[in-house]
Amino acid sequence: MKTSKVWAIAKKEFRDHIRNRWIIALTFIFVVLTIAASYLTGGKAGEELFGRLQGTVSTLLSISSILIPLIAIMLGYSTISGEGENGALPLVLSYPITRGEVLVGKFLGLSLVLIASIAFGFGLGGIVIAVFAGIENTTPYMVFILLSILLGGIYLSLSIFFSAVCKKRSTSIGAGILIFFWSMIYGTIVFGIYLSTGGTLEQLMGSESTLPGWMWKSIVVSPMDMHGTSAMQAFGLEKAFGYAMDVPSYLNLEFLVVIQLLWFLIPAILAYFFFKRRDL
Amino acid sequence: MLDRVISVKNLVKEYDGFRAVKDVSFEVKEGEIYGFLGPNGAGKSTTIKSMLGLIHSDGEIGIGGFDIREDGRKAKEKIGYLPERLFFYNNLTARQTLDFFGELRGVKPPTDSLLDQVGLLDEADKRVGDFSKGMIQLLGIAQAMVGDPEIYILDEPLSGLDPRWVKVVREKIKKLNEEGATIFFSSHNLNEVQNLSDRVSIIDNGKKIAEDSVQNLNEYLQIKPKLIINIPGLNGEIPSVLQEMHEIESIDASENKFTIECDPNARSRVLAKLEEEGMEIDDFETVQPSLEDAFVRLISKEEEE
Repeated sequence: MKTSKVWAIAKKEFRDHIRNRWIIALTFIFVVLTIAASYLTGGKAGEELFGRLQGTVSTLLSISSILIPLIAIMLGYSTISGEGENGALPLVLSYPITRGEVLVGKFLGLSLVLIASIAFGFGLGGIVIAVFAGIENTTPYMVFILLSILLGGIYLSLSIFFSAVCKKRSTSIGAGILIFFWSMIYGTIVFGIYLSTGGTLEQLMGSESTLPGWMWKSIVVSPMDMHGTSAMQAFGLEKAFGYAMDVPSYLNLEFLVVIQLLWFLIPAILAYFFFKRRDL
Repeated sequence: MLDRVISVKNLVKEYDGFRAVKDVSFEVKEGEIYGFLGPNGAGKSTTIKSMLGLIHSDGEIGIGGFDIREDGRKAKEKIGYLPERLFFYNNLTARQTLDFFGELRGVKPPTDSLLDQVGLLDEADKRVGDFSKGMIQLLGIAQAMVGDPEIYILDEPLSGLDPRWVKVVREKIKKLNEEGATIFFSSHNLNEVQNLSDRVSIIDNGKKIAEDSVQNLNEYLQIKPKLIINIPGLNGEIPSVLQEMHEIESIDASENKFTIECDPNARSRVLAKLEEEGMEIDDFETVQPSLEDAFVRLISKEEEE
């Protein structure tokens, strides 16, 4: 694999997408919401940094869990199916470059756009918190940013996988939307199963919540829930959205990061497998 | 030095049981312009995409001495490709686009010079997304020239261009060839292929039905030169004296002109006969058989079979 070719593709992807109106609009919304959330829940009261940490992190999590996957899906959904359809990709592949180099370059370039959006949003959010509440222990916040980048990477990987599998751009955006909504409603489905199998709201809302083991295990099939749980662990929080977190010991931050890395890697490898066999 | 820079042997491509390309073979010699002619949907683009390794197919494909599947990178280092359906990245400028393709080829292209050669220098810093279809096609030709490749594979290079640019591009193709490049180009336009090609192959329904120089094809198909005679006051009627002449193979009349296909030796007899009948010949000319005649003859032969 030639790094110069990978870098050429990465640079092109970055240049092309950083000016994409949809990406600019979503990043703008992300930045505005992050600053507003940081100000209202973290900084406005002038409390000590992360004095109202639970509220700040919960709000930032809500924003990042929706907007980061959305930005990632928008970046990746047409990168193979769309470019294959419109003829841009066949032209690129007529040059002395392998499909592997193109795919890695695309991952790299699109990831850089994603990282730029996240860094911009959370960077400005962090500045707001720092200005109003002072700078103290910033490590958890930095870990949170890295976890958000990982979440974006997972959805980018999934959207590129769908782009490699689907023949048409319209099908791959459909698959991207489907995976996004599935992620959104997954928690509700799990909650519904919990209630229908004898679980009660009292158990869940109590000071010592006793969630069944299967519910915790089910987290590993939901990148959004894993992101939320690992972010809470990074900040050392015990409550999220009003629910107590009696997280089992095996669901520690390291384990969750490894599982999320697999969520990133497996679709990426499968994307290469399908892309290599694809007619363009 | 390689004699044959493109070699395609027994190429087959199937899509869900449908054979789009059926056992096609041909070779292109170094320094020649090779026309690949066929109607839309004949299998031209599928053949070209197979040659570039863009689609998976059966058969052997060699470019510049390298197997496209085994040594794709080395083979592609020699190729400049212009696809039929051209699309560039909308948010990049023309200059950035050529620089990008230069990086893919591992060279720093003379961007301004390339853009100047296709008349786009003034548009160098404009977004490609704002370009017209003709401008995109011209930029496509400039990108094919990035890195000065030895072999050009051009899929319908003149389509979508207005007449003034058709001339420019045609001259450009000839110039590239004069400078030593080998050109393989596809077209459904018979005149273009006839004007540009040293040799031509004709493909129809996924099958190669002929390959030769335009002149040899006509000789092989026994297509005779045409005699066009202008007689004032004819009004589309075919003189009865001509209908009786067995040397004439076909005759078409429109207004004051009629076109006769006959043995070259019979032409003087035809003219003499008309004069004997008291017909006033305004002028006449002999037109050599065109590729169109060969093409029509081949396609109809193929359909009959």
